[in-house]
Amino acid sequence: MKIGIALALTVVLASCEGRQSVLSPAGRDAEVLANLFWWMLGGAVVLWLFVNGLMLYFSRIRRKRHSLRVAQWFIFMCGVVLPTTVLAGLLIFALREMPQQREPGEGLTLRVTGESWWWRVEYWPDGADEPVTTANEIRLPAGSRSEIELAANGVIHSFWIPALGGKTDMIPGRVNRMSLEPTAPGTYRGQCAEFCGLSHAHMALEAVVMAPEEFERWLGAEARDARAPEGAEAKRGKQLFLSQGCGGCHTVRGTPATARVGPDLTHLGGRKSLAAGMLPMDRQSLVGWLSAPESIKPGVNMPGYDHLPPADLQALAAYLEGLT
Amino acid sequence: MVWPNRYSSLWHMIAAPVVWAVHFCAVYGGTALVCARMDAPGLARIGIAAASVVALGLIWWIGRRAWRQWDYASRANRTHGGPRAEDRREFLGHSAWLLAIVSAIGVIFVSLPALFIESCL
Amino acid sequence: MTDSSLHDPPRSAAELDERQPQGQWPPSEEMLAEPVPSDIQEASKERLRAAWKTPTGIRYLSAVNNSVIGKWYSLTAFGFMLAAGVLALLMRVQLAVPENDFLSSDRFNQFFTMHGSAMMFLFAVPMFEAISILLLPAMLGSRDMPFPRLSAYGYWCFLIGGVFVLGSVLFDAAPSSGWFMYPPLATEDEGVGSDIWLLGLSFIEIASIAAAVELIVGVIKCRPPGMRINLMPLYGWYVLVVGGMILFAFPPLIAGDLLFELERSLNWPFFDPERGGDPLLWQHLFWIFGHPEVYIIFLPSIAIASMVVPTAAGRPIVGYSWIVLSAVGTGFISFGLWVHHMFTTGLPAISLGFFSAASEAVVIPTGVQIFAFIATLMVGRVTVILPTLWIAGAVAIFTAGGLTGVMVALAPFDWQVHDTYFIVAHLHYTLFGGMVFPIIGGIYYFYPFITKKKMSERLGRWSFWVTFIGFNVCFLPMHLTGLLGMPRRVWTYPGDLGWDWLNMISTVGSFVIAAGILIFAWDLLRPKGRQTLTERNPWNAGTLEWSHDVPTEAWGARSVPFVTSRYPLWDQPEIVERMDAGRFYLGDAPEGRRETLITSAVDAIPQLVVRVTGPAWCTLVAAAFTGGAFILPTFGIYGPAIVCGVLAIATVIWWLWTATAIIPDKVMKDVGLGLTLPTYVSGPKAPGWWAIFITMLGDATAFAGLIFGVFFFWTARPDFPPDGAAHASAALTTTAGVLLAGTWLSTWFARGLHRAGHVTIARALLIAAPIMASGGAASLIGAVWFPGLQPATHAYPAMMCALVVWSVAHILCGAIMQGYCLARSLAGRMLPEFDADLWNTTLYWHFQGVSGIVTSLMIGLVPRVM
Repeated sequence: MKIGIALALTVVLASCEGRQSVLSPAGRDAEVLANLFWWMLGGAVVLWLFVNGLMLYFSRIRRKRHSLRVAQWFIFMCGVVLPTTVLAGLLIFALREMPQQREPGEGLTLRVTGESWWWRVEYWPDGADEPVTTANEIRLPAGSRSEIELAANGVIHSFWIPALGGKTDMIPGRVNRMSLEPTAPGTYRGQCAEFCGLSHAHMALEAVVMAPEEFERWLGAEARDARAPEGAEAKRGKQLFLSQGCGGCHTVRGTPATARVGPDLTHLGGRKSLAAGMLPMDRQSLVGWLSAPESIKPGVNMPGYDHLPPADLQALAAYLEGLT
Repeated sequence: MVWPNRYSSLWHMIAAPVVWAVHFCAVYGGTALVCARMDAPGLARIGIAAASVVALGLIWWIGRRAWRQWDYASRANRTHGGPRAEDRREFLGHSAWLLAIVSAIGVIFVSLPALFIESCL
Repeated sequence: MTDSSLHDPPRSAAELDERQPQGQWPPSEEMLAEPVPSDIQEASKERLRAAWKTPTGIRYLSAVNNSVIGKWYSLTAFGFMLAAGVLALLMRVQLAVPENDFLSSDRFNQFFTMHGSAMMFLFAVPMFEAISILLLPAMLGSRDMPFPRLSAYGYWCFLIGGVFVLGSVLFDAAPSSGWFMYPPLATEDEGVGSDIWLLGLSFIEIASIAAAVELIVGVIKCRPPGMRINLMPLYGWYVLVVGGMILFAFPPLIAGDLLFELERSLNWPFFDPERGGDPLLWQHLFWIFGHPEVYIIFLPSIAIASMVVPTAAGRPIVGYSWIVLSAVGTGFISFGLWVHHMFTTGLPAISLGFFSAASEAVVIPTGVQIFAFIATLMVGRVTVILPTLWIAGAVAIFTAGGLTGVMVALAPFDWQVHDTYFIVAHLHYTLFGGMVFPIIGGIYYFYPFITKKKMSERLGRWSFWVTFIGFNVCFLPMHLTGLLGMPRRVWTYPGDLGWDWLNMISTVGSFVIAAGILIFAWDLLRPKGRQTLTERNPWNAGTLEWSHDVPTEAWGARSVPFVTSRYPLWDQPEIVERMDAGRFYLGDAPEGRRETLITSAVDAIPQLVVRVTGPAWCTLVAAAFTGGAFILPTFGIYGPAIVCGVLAIATVIWWLWTATAIIPDKVMKDVGLGLTLPTYVSGPKAPGWWAIFITMLGDATAFAGLIFGVFFFWTARPDFPPDGAAHASAALTTTAGVLLAGTWLSTWFARGLHRAGHVTIARALLIAAPIMASGGAASLIGAVWFPGLQPATHAYPAMMCALVVWSVAHILCGAIMQGYCLARSLAGRMLPEFDADLWNTTLYWHFQGVSGIVTSLMIGLVPRVM
């Protein structure tokens, strides 16, 4: 019996791990909330056993009647005094915590815009005049609080990286704000949490928490124009990219492609995933995505290029993969 | 003895929660307005404090009248299940008194945010 | 709601003295003890039976009696529940394994939208109405609901609307933007889905409000003589509270629906941020409805439990006033919670704090409720009957849901779990524990009352344990699924996040629940023809519904009893015998009419005996045309829709003309036990006046929703009103205000003068009134038309025009009512002493006069000040 319970506990606790788990926090806010949850869970179990234990006890076990006066006191103590005290404590804790989780950031500002169904990401370091634009992946320095502005284009989305903190909605016509203070470097997963249509399930993002110096280096690299393609196949891929009209929607900085309809692809190959967290960043996924995006993301705006010969798709993929 | 009208009135029974509701609307609407139009959280907090004091005062007054109507001391059996007019009067008083307690807790809870949150963020 | 004593001094000379109740009140013990001769008993039984006979054959469909309508209503709601449950099972199959393609994304979205919408609008709320229509008159020892034809109309609206909305799933045309229909996703949806949702459900919302009106009047005015407010069964208290909540919760959604549909069909940009709108306005209006809705579902079920628990404990409930406190307190506080569905929308933390605080505060009355049950068990001697098993299961599940509710009410914690499977688990715990289990327990409990047969003890236990275990297998793991980060409303998910095995367990559990519900459904529906009838009061309960005859009789209460206890069957030993003998009130139907007693609101002093309407087709016809008026516009068929609308109004007028406010043959009637009551009253003593009053409270709430919209835009948008925008014409809005005040005063004076006998002047005023009303409506239209307010360009002119649309529709309705009174007067159907129609019309205009003037100020003055 004891071994069974221990085993079950281990299984449950082990299963709390995960890249998108509220219960394995990697940020200050998420940590506070995970602890709060464990405390509340403990309290809830005790109270549940108390209430249901009393029900069982009085209906099945104890057959002696109590007096009316005792019963009325019981209602008053358990129904009014006990909950008022417990709830006041919880409420005060939550009210004090709320402003802390919304503290303004300490330098870096990110602006994330929810699109159908991907994330436009702009970095505004302190004092910058223009942003560094990327998509579907956010990187944050560990150990400091970053300000995040949230907007939306079209419909409502919600920005959420469970390991770092709570979510905030992205609402067309409004600019919301939140802030996150990651503590542990690593790669975490976030996902859109507000129903946003056909591919709501396919709108994830990677959140990479880096040591501050490393983050600065990365941001410097990210601000540069795209690398020129290396090798014949990738070069041919770049020509195809431009001739097939990809630049009608996408930007690759340093090339004639400057449209802002779809995600910025300047450093696409350097990202950890493709298609807003759906596919690993490799040649095969790129080819699959280019030929039939609709099969991966129902309702997606990007047309499929399966009319291109396989060699062309390979070349395009080679070019994109090389955009690190 | 002629009893006041309120001893047989459902409207008087729900007076305390009505005060809670008015307080809630005033506090929520006032804060939304002050934060959106003026960004003056200090003003909002003072307003909330004032509204809460007024609401609690009113609820206390309603509760005291209800307590008298309930006539706690006069009866040993407080079930108010009898057919006489006194039973109905005491029942309405008791319910109104209990509602005053819950409304007071509600007002205090709803005013707590002003105590702990200092900005419009 | 205060009472005056039985012998009110007449308020004016015109109020005829003989219209006051006369004779003995309260009845003396000798009168009650006097036996009724058996030949009189038999004869009056015959007459009652004839008056209350349920029509047979095809004419069965024209029945309006509460026992028939209640049965149809609850079975229909149960059918919709099964259908919505099947959708849930199909979704669980899709989610059983990661990357599944059993359902497409679009299909899945349709299914979860319809699952939520149907469970809420076609099952949970209608089920409360159905059960209340079925049980309430019996609990109150009354013959029927006060407005049986309104119940029938409500039922037919519900059936037509429900089949239409749910049927769309079969044609792959169902709404797919979630049951909350957030714009811009829902407003920009290309199919007819959103329109089906909006129009179909508006139609059902109207049916719900109709039921609420009827139930409130039923509780306030149809209690048996002597049943003071402190003696009313707790179920009645809950019905009163829930009816009031429906009245204030549904109308904001109707206002929202109006704006939504104006945006869908006329492109008025209320929710489009590009043109000055704001998607959050819908969220506010939806959740002002949506959160009280949760308690509208929960309270009636707990009300059932509060009928079962005393029976099980064998003693009166402990803490009756505590439970009343709990019901009323929950009713109020539940309106201060709506933003907890919007904790993540980025509102200021301090605002979130208010709603977080109220969400915690509402736990207190709910806790009181549960502890009052436990206290009753403490004091009583418990007999474990099958219904208590379901109630105990309900408490076990509901407390778990309540405790997670305490967690999510804390805004910061909600930022993590909002819109995840944690919430899915939480809400199903509250709804299964707070609705499904108590309702099934209630069905086991009340089944012998309804059919005079018993359901199977063995199947009941099986179904309980299978459902209970299945439920926890399905939903307990979902808490963890959500904490591991799985959002709601995703049609599929990747396999590497630890969600796969949890989802598989949930899917297995969902089929176990289905098995449990099927066992119950079989037990409920299996033929029980050969089974012997149950005894009259099989659980030895104390409340009046168990006094009903076995085998059943359509008259409800054989005679309307004089009640002096909360549990008359326990405390008034002779009551059943005397009811059977027809000893109490209305033991006979000498004119062969359906009648019921109307008593005062607080002390239940007899005031009136009213004729209750009988079987009719007009309810079905009116519902069908109303359905046409709502359903056809979905497909862009506007011409026939307008025709349907006109025919619906015409049918309703015909129905009112032929069956309401009929001038009685006798002004006074002997109702038994030495009491003589008037058969016709107008004004605040009449149930019809109360119905108008309550309806107009709801209507005023919807109007307040629109006004809220104006101020919401003003605080939320810097460009409201935009600089240099055209405003409504000040001159015309002033004219409108004056004309509307004029028509209001004319109606009011017409009532006074008519009562004083100046019929001609009253008629002249009733001719002038609709002319002024139409003039007022025309001025309002002109006020926005001439300055050139273009509603499609910006939310500001759109909002002004929406106010005009709302007001004009109401003013025209009021003008029809004025014309109706005039016609009644000319036809000799309304006389100075029989003037209920004019009282009701005046009451309507009290509301409409105020809201018309407010509209004039809102469009003419307020924007200029902003």
